[in-house]
Amino acid sequence: MLFLPNFVPDVFVSMYLPAIYAGLIVGFIGSMAIALRREEIHILILTDLIGLAMILVVSAVGTDLAEALILPGLVVELAETLAISEILISREMHKIEQNPRKNLSKSSSLFPVSFALDMEIMTTAPNFIALVLIAYGIFLTGFTGGAVAGGGIVLYMLSKKARGMPVLIIDGIAGVSGIAWCLWIIGFVLFFLTPSLWLLSLFLAACGLLLKVASKVGLIGLLMREDIDKE
Amino acid sequence: MDFVTLGGNLLGTISLGDIVLYVTPFSLFLFVVLLIFTLLIAISKTETQVEATFNKLGNTNVKVGLKEFKQRRFLSVICGIASAGAMITGDLFNFTLFMALIGILNIGIVSAVKQTSVLNSAYQYGLIAMMCSLPLFGGASIILASTGTLCLAILSQMHANPMVIFGAVLMLLGVIGESGVAPFFASKAEMFRTPGSPFIVIIHLSSLFIIVRAVEIFLLILW
Repeated sequence: MLFLPNFVPDVFVSMYLPAIYAGLIVGFIGSMAIALRREEIHILILTDLIGLAMILVVSAVGTDLAEALILPGLVVELAETLAISEILISREMHKIEQNPRKNLSKSSSLFPVSFALDMEIMTTAPNFIALVLIAYGIFLTGFTGGAVAGGGIVLYMLSKKARGMPVLIIDGIAGVSGIAWCLWIIGFVLFFLTPSLWLLSLFLAACGLLLKVASKVGLIGLLMREDIDKE
Repeated sequence: MDFVTLGGNLLGTISLGDIVLYVTPFSLFLFVVLLIFTLLIAISKTETQVEATFNKLGNTNVKVGLKEFKQRRFLSVICGIASAGAMITGDLFNFTLFMALIGILNIGIVSAVKQTSVLNSAYQYGLIAMMCSLPLFGGASIILASTGTLCLAILSQMHANPMVIFGAVLMLLGVIGESGVAPFFASKAEMFRTPGSPFIVIIHLSSLFIIVRAVEIFLLILW
């Protein structure tokens, strides 16, 4: 029993089973690697590999409902990776607090090391590329557009060396992100309650998501620059 | 299997676009009980553990700081609401999402403690939860691919083909890992050994209720 529209080519239909097998095999290889490795940070990174296999299995379906499963799956993976790495760091901190004399042993690889970014593109053409990326992102709207526009903001912030952004501006960008998120949620709820207003709710959701993702990615760029440029 | 057989009389459906919630006495009971527990947790204070000290006669009180207390209360209230949502939902997709959310929140509730052993077991549990998101989401997507819907009311009317059975088995693996029951309970039981009792209890409670609900969902899909 197949529920397929006529315009889907046979090639795509025949790709489904190999994609699922590939995802499961990647997951299996990841689990074997976790069973072999013993260092905790490596296990954490390898666990992310299994998360990617999950994305592979879900995206093999290829419908919009499957895309709705992919996004939360991705977010869940990211949040869990962050939470677990946070747990690892705080555990190491507690260990050091309890025994300050013991120096950082092999587990010291957990702490981030500052690095310098030296790329040609960061000095010559950031203005133009950032402008093009932001314009294209606004044209796209939605999640993808937000990511593209945010990429433009990140590029601009990384390449321009103006140090010391005032706290008020950072708070302001975070506030814009929060308000845009409310727009998105209002659009989302309208979709369910009154389907006849679909155009309004679509635009609310798309523009809200654009602003939210762009400002969030911009914030990441801001924090990254403050971290990286710290010698 | 029809859900009237498992949950009693159908009290009504709440239709939100293509997401249809159905209310039976079974799901309503689980939902209300979890909300009551969440309310109790929201208004309660933490316990203070009394530990005997080695080589001395005195006892030490293990207390929870105000900041840690607030964070833990917030996360456990969210965890209670997420489990209540998983009880009432009529959609496999929403059930999957609530399950994954509960998995994260369980890690978050214990993430601020100071005991390194508890953090260790939280780390182990988090790894299992992350690995099990592959069978959880993968199983849901395989069921979606082979039936074309994730709505339980439609899924319960269909006959299960081998692909659906495979997806349901994968999803069962995922639920077991995310809620940390039978083979993985060792790390989770270790997580409870920290002060702050009523908030820790929601970790246990949510996995108990989730398993009951998951059994109902699998019977609906497979029978």
